[in-house]
Amino acid sequence: MRSTHWLPLLSVLLACTLSACGTDDAVVLYVALDEEHSKQLVARFERETGTRVKARFDTEASKTVGLVSAIIEESSRPRCDVFWNNEIAHTVRLGQKGLLAPYVSPAAEGLPSAYRHTEGLYTGFAARARVLIVNTDLLPDPAERPTSMWDLIDPRWRGRCAVARPLTGTTLTHFTALRGVLGDEEFERFLDGLFENDVQFLQSNGATMRAVRDGDVAFAFTDTDDFHVALTKGYPVACVFPDQRADEVGTMLIPNSVALTLGAPHAEAARSLIDFILSEQVEGLLAAGRSAQIPLRSTVPGPAAQEILGVDAFRSMEWDLEGTAASLEDSSRLFQNRFGG
Amino acid sequence: MRRARADSLWLLAAVAFVLAFVAAPLGCMALEIVWTGGRLDLTPLGTILGDEHDRRQLLTTVALGVTGTLIATLLGLGHAWVTFRTDLFAARALGAAGVVPLVLPPILVAMAFSDLFDTRGFAACAALLGLCYAPFVAVLAARGLRAISGEAYEAALVARGRAAAERWLLRAILPEVAAGALFAFAFVISEHGVPEFLTVKGKSWHTYAEGIFAKWTRRATGVDHAALASPIVAALPLVALLAVALLVALRLRGRATIEGDHRPLPMRRLGRLRHVALALPLGYLGCGVVLPLVVMGRWAGGSTNRATGVSLERMLESFRLAVTEASGDLGHTLLVGVAATGVLLLVAAPLAWNAARRWPWIDHLSIAPVAVPAVLLGIGMVRAYNRDLFYGFYDHGAILVAAYAARFLPFGVLTLSAAVRRVPRELEEAALFAGRGQFARAVRIHLPLFAPALGSAGCLAMVLALRELDVAVVLPAGNGTVVRRLSNIVHFGGEEMGGALALLLVLAATVVPLLAVILTGRKLRSLS
Repeated sequence: MRSTHWLPLLSVLLACTLSACGTDDAVVLYVALDEEHSKQLVARFERETGTRVKARFDTEASKTVGLVSAIIEESSRPRCDVFWNNEIAHTVRLGQKGLLAPYVSPAAEGLPSAYRHTEGLYTGFAARARVLIVNTDLLPDPAERPTSMWDLIDPRWRGRCAVARPLTGTTLTHFTALRGVLGDEEFERFLDGLFENDVQFLQSNGATMRAVRDGDVAFAFTDTDDFHVALTKGYPVACVFPDQRADEVGTMLIPNSVALTLGAPHAEAARSLIDFILSEQVEGLLAAGRSAQIPLRSTVPGPAAQEILGVDAFRSMEWDLEGTAASLEDSSRLFQNRFGG
Repeated sequence: MRRARADSLWLLAAVAFVLAFVAAPLGCMALEIVWTGGRLDLTPLGTILGDEHDRRQLLTTVALGVTGTLIATLLGLGHAWVTFRTDLFAARALGAAGVVPLVLPPILVAMAFSDLFDTRGFAACAALLGLCYAPFVAVLAARGLRAISGEAYEAALVARGRAAAERWLLRAILPEVAAGALFAFAFVISEHGVPEFLTVKGKSWHTYAEGIFAKWTRRATGVDHAALASPIVAALPLVALLAVALLVALRLRGRATIEGDHRPLPMRRLGRLRHVALALPLGYLGCGVVLPLVVMGRWAGGSTNRATGVSLERMLESFRLAVTEASGDLGHTLLVGVAATGVLLLVAAPLAWNAARRWPWIDHLSIAPVAVPAVLLGIGMVRAYNRDLFYGFYDHGAILVAAYAARFLPFGVLTLSAAVRRVPRELEEAALFAGRGQFARAVRIHLPLFAPALGSAGCLAMVLALRELDVAVVLPAGNGTVVRRLSNIVHFGGEEMGGALALLLVLAATVVPLLAVILTGRKLRSLS
């Protein structure tokens, strides 16, 4: 053991260690969209353009906010070239913090202006809707099913429904936007109602989907991609786009968003990657894939599952993107206090 | 003279590694707690356990640790006892298999059980963690039983009777069992991956490690932006608890009987209970190994898809998908594992030698990387290396290699230093006086003597590196590791490919020790 004849072994180790390292010429993509949904698209871009992409994916536990934290921390010397977020409010917030660079992609043509920054700091595309997933074994009659977010606080459903804790991901964005749409007083009434009605607060939208799928609760808020997973696996579930009456707020639509970071080390390749991500082709693939994203362009075919409506087939909630992003920190603190870690 | 210089250089290189990848990350975190805005500020320390939330999480975690450790002790000690002390059917093979559950990543076991049972409850979570860390107790208890002299036991038997002899035997192996239990306790309370997975599956209570990770994740999103040190400060009570547990474990391990040349303990005849007693090892191995593998196999076959059901075609398709889509991750994981193992052995060897021959306190210092929860060590690596100077290193595989080698260094140092202590100095001196050259001494004396210990330390490091999740979720380079990919796939409903990938990972983790045994033609000396 005290021999100094370790050169061959050292060489092998060095080779292994160096092989474990990557090279620096790759465009760096931070992706908050589920790894299994985005990895194939990244590979497709690499095949089509010959540009290497180094993708950093988020984990389920730290959805979106983990990567946002990283971008903020790395801002003195950015590593990330492109941020592909699976929601939009945190991207807008990065823009407000001055961490994004403008880029108006020609591929963004046809995407609604409501989800695009005027100077190109961010662009929204392929969306998920915040829907109510319903267990059809427990609620076989469609007329008996909930139709509104307010059903969560209806005593009729006491202890029989669930929602994810609004601490990360789309639920944080959803609740922050609702706070703006409803106003503080009405929103507080909604929050109080959730607690009074023994609504189950789970860790994620995947968890709420599973709770409904397994019959633990009758219905829950989730995202359309989680609903789609349960549907395609043959579970007894249905999907309700809530709050469709004229006097209701509408169903919240949360698009993906993509942005070029300020000081991106590989800006040129990053722009090309953004063009690819915003293309009709990718929106179509996201709709056709397991995540069943809803295309924001009417020219792109929607998901095959008829339960997931096209963007023109339901009334979506109108919400203030910039205002929601600006109040994320404050809302985050509020929800942390109300819902715990 | 030349040789002494080379040895010193090797030791210096090992110390430099420890300073860079253990001391620097921990030091950076410690500094961040008390050094803010260019001045000393001790106020963050005043916030330790000031939050009701933190206190509740810490209490829950300690309760989980105690319950999990009790379960690990019952399973591990029970397994070692019936397989080494009795004439149980296939006792030798079953006894050796006691370490096998260590090959399976805890998250994989959690996935399997949550597929079959409701694992949101405290008891279920504790049972899972106890099962995953029972091998520590099983291996050390077996070592204790092997070390007891059969003659001494028989003397106790003749003098005081069966019950008293058994009580004496239990007391004799207590240091080993307690050391194993404390190692298990340390791992259970610092585990983040399994509790987090169960939380995503619907568990509504949180452990301390989960709290630290949540604080870290949201550090820049408003909740804790004013107190970047918050997750580190919050972790201090847990670190203190871990350090105490490990130091006591080490002390107990030091007191344990050293194996020598003696007659082994006489077997106890179980009589009619011989087959009934099989339930314990079979239950332990069934739950810790067979059941998770069967569930993963069923997942690969499509069991989670109610529309299609299980089929062989589906299983083959899942494996094809896993190979085509995740072979890069599998290769990366193996490469990182091999590199980390090699680095670990190179660093551990001089430290262990000096711990055994000169400075025993190195053993105690070496436990530092395990005394810090893996999540926190990962955060420390980020704090130390996410800066301009290390721009190229920070998000490359090399940092993962260094992090894994640092994390599992204690196992290398402790295993090798124990091996060195077993070898009399005279043997080495005799070779020196016999005029053997440096190369001959290395090949003919040292290598045969330490090869089994090097092999087992290497295998253990490799297996632990392949299953490590907590460091991988914090470091960017952990993106391409299989176990991280696995935890993500399952969250997103990809159980088919996840099941296939899990089986491939376990196969890789099993092949490594097997290859080592086949190539060296020796039995590996286990964790002892």
